[in-house]
Amino acid sequence: MTDHDGNRTPQSRLRNFSIIAHIDHGKSTLADRLLEFTHTIDARQMTSQVLDSMDLEREKGITIKARAVRLEYTANDGLAYGLNLIDTPGHVDFSYEVSRSLQACEGAILVVDAAQGIEAQTLANVHLAMREGLTIVPVINKIDLPSAQPEVVMEELENVLAIPREEVILASAKEGRGIDEILEAIVTRVPPPKGDPTAPLQGLIFDSHYDAYKGVVTYVRLAQGTLHKHDRIRLMASGVESDLLELGVFRPQLAPVAQLTAGEVGYVATGLKSVRDAQVGDTITSATRPASAPLPGYQEAKSLVFAGIYPLSGEDYPLLRDALEKLHLNDASFTYEPESSIALGFGFRCGFLGLLHMEIVQERLEREFSLDLIASAPSVEYEVELTHGRGIVRIDNPALLPPIADIEEIHEPWVALSVITPSSYIGPLMELTTNRRGAFLNMEYLDPQRVLMHFEIPLAELIVDYFDQLKSRSQGYASMDYEEAGYRPANLVKLDVMVAGEPVDALSLIVHRDNAQAIGRTLTEKLKELIPRQMFEVPIQAAIGSNVIARETVRAMRKNVLAKCYGGDITRKRKLLEKQREGKQRMKRIGSVEIPQEAFLAVLRMGDA
Amino acid sequence: MTLAPQRAVPGSGADRAEPPVALYVHVPFCVARCPYCDFVVLPGAAARGPRNRVADYVDALLAELRLRAPASPVGLRSVYVGGGTPSLLPVADVMRLLDAVDAAFGIADGAEVTLEVNPGRDERGEPRAWREAGVTRLSFGAQSLDASELRALGRRHSPEDVLSAVTDARRAGITSISVDLLYDVPGQSAASWARTLDGALALDADHLSLYALTLDDAVGADHLPLRPGARRWRERARAGQDEDRAADQYALAEDRLAAAGYRHYEISNWARPGHASRHNLAYWWRLPHEAVGPGAHAFDGATRRWNDAAFEPWLAALAAGTLPPGGSEWIDDEAANAERLILGLRLAEGIPVPAAAAPGLAWGIDTGLLEAAGDRLRLTRRGRLLSNEVFARLL
Repeated sequence: MTDHDGNRTPQSRLRNFSIIAHIDHGKSTLADRLLEFTHTIDARQMTSQVLDSMDLEREKGITIKARAVRLEYTANDGLAYGLNLIDTPGHVDFSYEVSRSLQACEGAILVVDAAQGIEAQTLANVHLAMREGLTIVPVINKIDLPSAQPEVVMEELENVLAIPREEVILASAKEGRGIDEILEAIVTRVPPPKGDPTAPLQGLIFDSHYDAYKGVVTYVRLAQGTLHKHDRIRLMASGVESDLLELGVFRPQLAPVAQLTAGEVGYVATGLKSVRDAQVGDTITSATRPASAPLPGYQEAKSLVFAGIYPLSGEDYPLLRDALEKLHLNDASFTYEPESSIALGFGFRCGFLGLLHMEIVQERLEREFSLDLIASAPSVEYEVELTHGRGIVRIDNPALLPPIADIEEIHEPWVALSVITPSSYIGPLMELTTNRRGAFLNMEYLDPQRVLMHFEIPLAELIVDYFDQLKSRSQGYASMDYEEAGYRPANLVKLDVMVAGEPVDALSLIVHRDNAQAIGRTLTEKLKELIPRQMFEVPIQAAIGSNVIARETVRAMRKNVLAKCYGGDITRKRKLLEKQREGKQRMKRIGSVEIPQEAFLAVLRMGDA
Repeated sequence: MTLAPQRAVPGSGADRAEPPVALYVHVPFCVARCPYCDFVVLPGAAARGPRNRVADYVDALLAELRLRAPASPVGLRSVYVGGGTPSLLPVADVMRLLDAVDAAFGIADGAEVTLEVNPGRDERGEPRAWREAGVTRLSFGAQSLDASELRALGRRHSPEDVLSAVTDARRAGITSISVDLLYDVPGQSAASWARTLDGALALDADHLSLYALTLDDAVGADHLPLRPGARRWRERARAGQDEDRAADQYALAEDRLAAAGYRHYEISNWARPGHASRHNLAYWWRLPHEAVGPGAHAFDGATRRWNDAAFEPWLAALAAGTLPPGGSEWIDDEAANAERLILGLRLAEGIPVPAAAAPGLAWGIDTGLLEAAGDRLRLTRRGRLLSNEVFARLL
């Protein structure tokens, strides 16, 4: 690695760090400020949320993909340092991405909002960082706010994470306060990376994206050895070899360099066409002088939420397949395999880290690949024990649940849920969680006003809209995190939905028997709202087996008319009719009924049934 | 798309242009703007009082008539002065206007000359003078004969005003009178609609137009932007509309008006024999028509052309002796065919059964929205209210 003057930055002056923060606590603004302070980006090029380059990320104000950027910083000791910032996503669904980023670092800035205090998920990520042995640089941000309570937050940090208050830096990223101090702390507190530059090459792939010209571009952290720009590389897991096309660092756009050495973070354009040949977690080594063993990789992301994704029109199936393959290069944390549905035709069963992840994957497929998609109701993965000792089958699609007679017992996944909330919302959140079959375990006070509550709850109850409900019942103040807590038996049944007498398998749900009646009623009511009137009456039924438990009717359409159509209206009315026609084309025809895309996600819009 | 109007583009169909048989004149003035209205309207001080723009407007209108005049008189079979509230125009201006139309285009003997009237006491104008100026038909914007519905719609007149205005017009010797009514109005009940219909029949009108209140927020340069107050009004009003009630109201009107001897000749229009609107039939038959005034739309058999809605630019261009800003759209064969089917099916007479039926027509027959009657195809009773379902499949 060489700096602007062509001088190498020695390993002792490299620092790799990430930022851990709750959504809205100012991580992106802080990253923007660090980029400005170190002149990595000049003010002219500065847009806010520089690192969140995806449209979706800017719109939702969240980071979805990890990113890296290299900062050049001259410290108070007069020496030039190379700082690699590896950005991490902040939402609970993406803790898998966070853990990968953390493994590429020696330190982490912990950003906590001076008015909000520490949040559930930040807590989880800090624990993760501590387990990885990272040095934590605690920062209390937004001290400019009138409601800032840095003293209270310091107390929280001390109580909950045993962080001494003298280590805490007070900052306002918005006003540029404390930025110098943070940069100095990174240099003085975070240790430089280790690793012998002369040893055989070992570089861990922590992320990748696909570029039409450069092929698979891998983001690597070199553990040992040195990589030169004309080297021939080998990927240790796949065994594939390639002459590398380009080597570089993130500024934050890709900037080529001549070499990368042990401890550094950068990118390697492999020229490979298939991401399967250079997967995240694989180790890059030299083809001529390979390392004897790969680095320990990552655990595979575990899908918790499953849904079918189908093209609105069947002929787009090959496009969807290509799109999934390409998107998967960029986001390896979802899974997909072909499946078919009686109602929706050919599509894919996809596994996601959580519901937000599902939403994002669907939106990216629709935007980046111009597809019209239908997603079926999301499900968790059940373990179904068959009768007569015929073993256990795993079911992530309710439509595939075996007949009742073949089932001995169904087991469903549970999670340990932690919620941090101002104490005034304990009641409503307790009610929310226990109404969803959750069990309260215990509660601890973080400070006089805020508590950390521990629950256990079936994952299926969590994925529907628990997070939205949590936010709305706490006026946005509560935060949550969860981890898996094993499978438990439950009295579950399959709820089928029939539209105009035709079973619509994509609407099937697995629900607790005690709640089946209520859910069936709400679901049919919601579907009645979502399915527009047709030329004839359309009954909507919910059934368990052959037993109908709820029924609604969408009455026949009676009026769709242009009342006035005179000289001035003809052009405009024709356009209005064209819009109506396009609206019809965006619906899925099942039997003789046209069903809009959003109806398939009706189960997510039922409120707190 | 905005093109300079009247520029003949080779191959654009301008060579197929035909002389107009009808003329529309848009008068934008209103005392106040009704919140459901999508027409190009200039309310308030521009319409009357010391700062009114009526004289400027009429001068510009006469200039536009001269600029759009054909090389030789064509003998218009209808003239329609719509708005806005044309009945607000001073009688002298109505006379100047019709004289100018006759000078520029020629008005055929026996032509239908319609003027739109608001029934309010201070805006209903002078029917006798109009008749002398050549007006043959008046169209009254009654909308309802229920006092509370009229208030809810922001109308300025009462049910009694409608009765006295129509009576005055009869006395003045107007021989063809049309009344507009609205159904699917928030707060309207089956009973109040039945009373309005009975009241309208008691008026002894020759022609009735019944419109479902439509709040679809028109956009584009040929419309004015919606004000926030009207937007909020519409949001509330939409919540008070009901498809089933509307369908019942329509069915009731069909039965009552048929029993009273009115022919249901178009989806929203009923007439006694000899009183179907000749001007509006020109639209549905796709006959060429000229149009003047802000936001007005014309058709020459191949191209649809319009003036932009904004008043001041319209006025400024004409004051400078040039055509006002606007746009046009050439109607290709495919669009022309769709228009022919859609407009033709609006009429009770329907369309000739096509040699090769479009899939949309076959669908309409299968679902019972269309029926064959001899060599014609027309909407059924259910099909009239569901006509968009057929029309959207004909595009």
